Formats: sequence, structure tokens, C-alpha cells
Amino acid sequence: MATSRRAATRAEARKPTPEPSGGASDRSELPSNVYVGAGCMLERTRDTFAHYRSTQDPGLQLGEHVRVFQGTTFNVEADGSVEIGEGSILAGVIFMCAEAITLGRRVVASYNVTITDCDFHPLDPDLRRRDAIAIAPEGDRSRRPQLATAPVVIEDGAWIGIGAIILKGVRIGRGARVHAGAVVTRDVPPDVTVAGNPAEPMDASQHE
Amino acid sequence: MTLLAHDWYPAEVPPNVTLGERSWLHSSFAFVHHRSERDPSVRIGPDCGLYKGTYFDLGPQGQVEIGKCCTVNGATFSSNDRIVIGDYALIAYGVVIAGSAFAVPPDARAAMGEDSRLLEHQREVRIGDDAWIGSRAVVLGGSTVGNGAAVGAAAVIDGEVPDYAIAAGNPARIVGWARPSHPA
Repeated sequence: MATSRRAATRAEARKPTPEPSGGASDRSELPSNVYVGAGCMLERTRDTFAHYRSTQDPGLQLGEHVRVFQGTTFNVEADGSVEIGEGSILAGVIFMCAEAITLGRRVVASYNVTITDCDFHPLDPDLRRRDAIAIAPEGDRSRRPQLATAPVVIEDGAWIGIGAIILKGVRIGRGARVHAGAVVTRDVPPDVTVAGNPAEPMDASQHE
Repeated sequence: MTLLAHDWYPAEVPPNVTLGERSWLHSSFAFVHHRSERDPSVRIGPDCGLYKGTYFDLGPQGQVEIGKCCTVNGATFSSNDRIVIGDYALIAYGVVIAGSAFAVPPDARAAMGEDSRLLEHQREVRIGDDAWIGSRAVVLGGSTVGNGAAVGAAAVIDGEVPDYAIAAGNPARIVGWARPSHPA
């Protein structure tokens, strides 16, 4: 490699560093508490399970025919557990799970969607400083304050648009639509479309 | 049939993709979900930089045309229709330009069966010369971003941004104007 670098032209020297060979696909064994249903497609990269720390059983369960595309990451804390129902599609979804995130059947989550069941730090500034100290590189993580979590449920057939963010404790009803870029802080009733930050029901005149 | 000399991903660039003179593409991994049968499916002009995190998730009828001297610093193009980008456009990291708000890679669309018909309001997207699209912004099917227009970070564009307008927010609104200081 050193030889080729020496031989590189000036133009090549400006180019970004290529990823190491085999950087994209991760062919290592899945964690033993991950269950994959028949007919699933899991486009796994080194990032997909880089922050997967679940000690639950199951820690992650994919129903039959679930499709997980590149860009999806399962960031699951020790007490966390993620369940994805049959036929759901994850086009590049960031899961941040400390307790429970459950997706029903045929849920569609588009690119850059984030789903989290925890704020990951306390709102109280004193407690938050304690947390900041505990999570420092050489801090003592056992001294982290208790984190507030609230499960997220996304019911059958709900669709989550590009870049939307679903926050803790939210239930998204069957067949609901979350528009691109929405930040969902409260429950969405079945078959309702929400949009914006914070997400509010969208009336038909706003769109189209 | 091109192999990029610097590529870490062991795949060829699809034969219906053309890359202009002096243009740089980070990796053929950009085409991992490329299913376009159009010819050309992706046409990139000269002096363009397409960097890490850029993906062309194009369905059978999907097509992307990029002019000259554009920078695409990690954006996803997901459509089964045309996406046309002018010259000197700057597209920031995490941007998604998609036919539909619920876009998914073409293989998933195929697997959705009946449901995927609801995604079929796929329409053309046009982005003008000198346009600037901020980080994590979303530009949806049927939208036009005018020449010299700027789109703020995380804005959602579902309509028309006029030439030289600055659009931001969700839903995006025009928040200002930036006209050329040296008109041609």
C-alpha cells in the first residue's frame, strides 16, 4: 500500500480516504438474542449492531419477511428490546432503545427515521451534570442517574416519512401517516396524518 | 462496466451510469439499491464530487441527471421518476431527494405489492443551477428548487422554491432572498 501511496498523483492525494476493504458488510455472527424470521432481508453493515448492548431475550426480534436496509442501526441498551412485525420495511432507521420499541406488521419507515423510547439524559440540570460526568470516557457509568423511559408502539400499517423523529412514549395508530421531517411527541390516532415540529394533524388544505 | 480504481466496494458501476470528466465518486456502494433500467439512469456531468453516503435508490423508471461542478456530500436519491439537478449545485450531508415522503428502496417497493400503489405519486424533482440544499433537508416529488435558491437545514420542500429564495422550516416557508451580487 505504501508504494501505491507514493505513486499517487496530486489529484489522487486530494481524494477522501477509501474505506478499508470489506468495510460495508458485516458477516460476523449475530448476537444470540437476535431472532430473525423466515424470509427476512438484513442488509447489515458494521454500524448496524455497533451499539447493540441488549441483555434481554429477545433483544431484537424480526418477524417474517422484514426488510432491513443499509443505514438502519439498532442502538439498544442492556434493558432494551426491539420487536419488528411481519412484512415491515426499514429503509434506514435509527433505533435508540432503552426499554421497548415495538413495530406492528407492514410498517414502513423511510430513510433517516429516528425512533427512541428514552431521552437518554435527565432534564434536571443537576442530575444531567452527574450524567455528563458518569459518561465521560473514563467515567463510572454505574453512577448514571436513573433514566426515564417509555415504550414506543407503532401499530400495523403505519407509515413513517423521511427523516421523521418519534420520541418516547408515543403510540402511532394503525394506518397512520407521519409526514417527512415530523417530530412526533404525542400519540397519533389510527388513520390520521401528522406533520411538522411538533407534529400536528395535517388538514387536507395544507398538502396538495 | 467501470470499476473505480479507489473503490473499497467490490462492485462495478452499473453500465447505464455515466460519470463526467474529472468527476469523483466515492464508491460503487452508491448503487447498492440501484434498479433503474433507463439509459442513462444516472448521468453526472464534469467536475462533480459525489462523496461518502451518497445513494441512488432508483426504481426501474428512475433517472438522475446532475450538471457540471456539483458537490453531493452524502445524499440519497430515491425515486421512480426523474430528478434533475443543474450546474454548480451544493447538496449537503443527509439530504434526501425522493419521489414520495414515504420512499423506500426499489426492492422494498416491489415487495409491498398493493400497498406500493400509494407511493406512486412519484413525480419529477428539479433543482436549479447554483442551488444550495442544507443538511438533512428533504425535497419531495413534484418540487422545484429554483436557480440560486437556498434550502435550510432539515427543511421539508413539497412545492416550489422560486429562484434566489431562501426556504427553511417544516413545512418550508420562504424566509428571505439572496440575489446575485454580480448579475450576468
